[in-house]
Amino acid sequence: MSSTGTGTQPPPHVIEAARSPVMASAIAGRTKVLPILELALLIAASIAPLVLRDYITVYATRVLILCLFALSFDLVWGYAGILSLGQSLFFGTAGYGVALLSRDFGVASIFAVLPAGTLIGFVAALLLAGFLLLGRHPSSVVFVSLGTMTGAYAADRLARGSHYLGGQNGIPSIPPMTIGSHELSEGPGFYYLVLAILVLIYLLSRFLLRSQFGLALAGLRENEQRIAFFGYNVQHLKAIIFAISGAIAGASGSLYAFHEGFVWTNMLGVVMSTQVVLYVLFGGSGTLIGAVIGTAIVEGLSFWLSDNYRDIWPIILGVLLLLVILFRPLGLISLVLGERERVGHFGPSLKEKRNAAP
Amino acid sequence: MDTLLIATFEILSFGAIVVLVVLGLGIIASMMGIFNFAQGEFVLLGAYVTYLMHSVGLPVPLGMLAAPVAVGTLGFVLEKLVVRRFYAAPIVAMLGTYALGLIIREAVRGLTGGLYLSVPEPISGSITIGSLHFAAWRGVIVIITLLVMAASHALLAYTSFGLRVRASLENPQLARASGISTGMIYSVTFAFGAALAGLAGALIVPVFSLFADLGIRFLIQGFVAVMVGGVGSFAGPVAGASVIGTFSAWLPWLMSPVIADVLVFVLAIIFIKFRPQGLVSGRGVNR
Repeated sequence: MSSTGTGTQPPPHVIEAARSPVMASAIAGRTKVLPILELALLIAASIAPLVLRDYITVYATRVLILCLFALSFDLVWGYAGILSLGQSLFFGTAGYGVALLSRDFGVASIFAVLPAGTLIGFVAALLLAGFLLLGRHPSSVVFVSLGTMTGAYAADRLARGSHYLGGQNGIPSIPPMTIGSHELSEGPGFYYLVLAILVLIYLLSRFLLRSQFGLALAGLRENEQRIAFFGYNVQHLKAIIFAISGAIAGASGSLYAFHEGFVWTNMLGVVMSTQVVLYVLFGGSGTLIGAVIGTAIVEGLSFWLSDNYRDIWPIILGVLLLLVILFRPLGLISLVLGERERVGHFGPSLKEKRNAAP
Repeated sequence: MDTLLIATFEILSFGAIVVLVVLGLGIIASMMGIFNFAQGEFVLLGAYVTYLMHSVGLPVPLGMLAAPVAVGTLGFVLEKLVVRRFYAAPIVAMLGTYALGLIIREAVRGLTGGLYLSVPEPISGSITIGSLHFAAWRGVIVIITLLVMAASHALLAYTSFGLRVRASLENPQLARASGISTGMIYSVTFAFGAALAGLAGALIVPVFSLFADLGIRFLIQGFVAVMVGGVGSFAGPVAGASVIGTFSAWLPWLMSPVIADVLVFVLAIIFIKFRPQGLVSGRGVNR
């Protein structure tokens, strides 16, 4: 790829994509940046509760749960190129689902509520994908984004109007989640549980995306038509990843409900689903770690800034987002990570093959 | 009979509001291929300018005249600075304009202090025909909507500016080769769409009052209307807006408002699913 083409002016994101591997390879050299970054973050996250004060640990737990949520959006937008503006639908539905389970049926065991939340998210996403993505006509990106956004808006409105779901106030005072007879309240214990779940799901997603399936998804993002010509069923691929991401959003939604102790309509609505778009765009879509970094940065900044600059913080956030979209379409992660590492690969790398050859 | 007439008027005036909001969105989407997520915030800004003029003691109609000018100017500047970078990537454009909208919305939220502020109707009272009373201001909105619609159509269909806009839409390269400055045309078209949104905001602020999330409500409605009507033509968004506006005003007479609100959108999405090209599947402006 070269950016020296003359004549027609390539759009900015093409220039960006062409330029970044050169820059990044200068930094990266022969070593891969991605695994180092992932390991460094994992270590930082593991020791964080030991050095942070308790109330910050509670806040950090929420950030980790939101990281999980961001991961789910990154899977659909960063990999398959599906702009889901209704990701909160699965997050919130699962949250409400587990809240009802604990309120009406007294079920709060983690072994029941977490799978239940995941299942709710999965089924909701599968149904929505079945309608929006499958069918005779291939759906345009605009249609899918509009459809998902409408889904989130509708769920928000219906929850607000429903007495059973607590209307405007949501469902307050959900009892704490239990493991066996142990009650899990916010603090380091909850933090490490969420971290373990996040790492597990991260690794599963990473494994999934570094397979042939993941390569096909990345191809879908770059050039959908070509993937279709290769004989893949594009719509099925999209529906599968959409449902998987719904399941992850469901898991994070149920964790969120128990961590906060209540659910309210904002969890379902457009506000929450645009929040997750912010995280992923900030950090960098198409790399799982980008979603995590983006969430951590946005939430971290908002933690420090919203105390002192409560009024102008959302404006600052908007300006930062605009700048990132304009000048770093691949997110902050593209400062250190090359385009090549964004695309997954599987099997032995070229270099290993070359070394193995006599 | 009387309730029927009243209901018809209600539906008509609400439909007119939706058409007014959607017109600018539809022109930008059809003529430039950009789905402007900041359009709802342009409506909000129009409403805010009107409120601002009113709060410093100027007459409300003057504020309503100033709103489209101010918002149109802002649209022009934003197109030059930001939006034009997005033409090659419509999806990025959605996200970029969303960020713009976020900035405007939060700025207005900061300026209004998150309150609901009201602006009086410039023409208050009601028109009485026989035993029926109609809110005068809503009647004015209907009339202005019809005028704006006719004027926009005339501008695009019969003037040399409209010809250049249509040429840039049909074939940008050929238009450039023929000496049309497509960059300028895009800027002016975007500013025009923004000005229409500003006018819509100015006209509806007495009805809805001013609050920071005013735009979001119209954004989804506007997008659904444009998609239902069909992107690419002038008539499409107008037709879509009429349909959505009519249903949004009519269904609450039959069922609870919450269900009606959701049902309109769900029905619209189902319609788009099975007819992606929308009601009007043409391109350009019919003369």
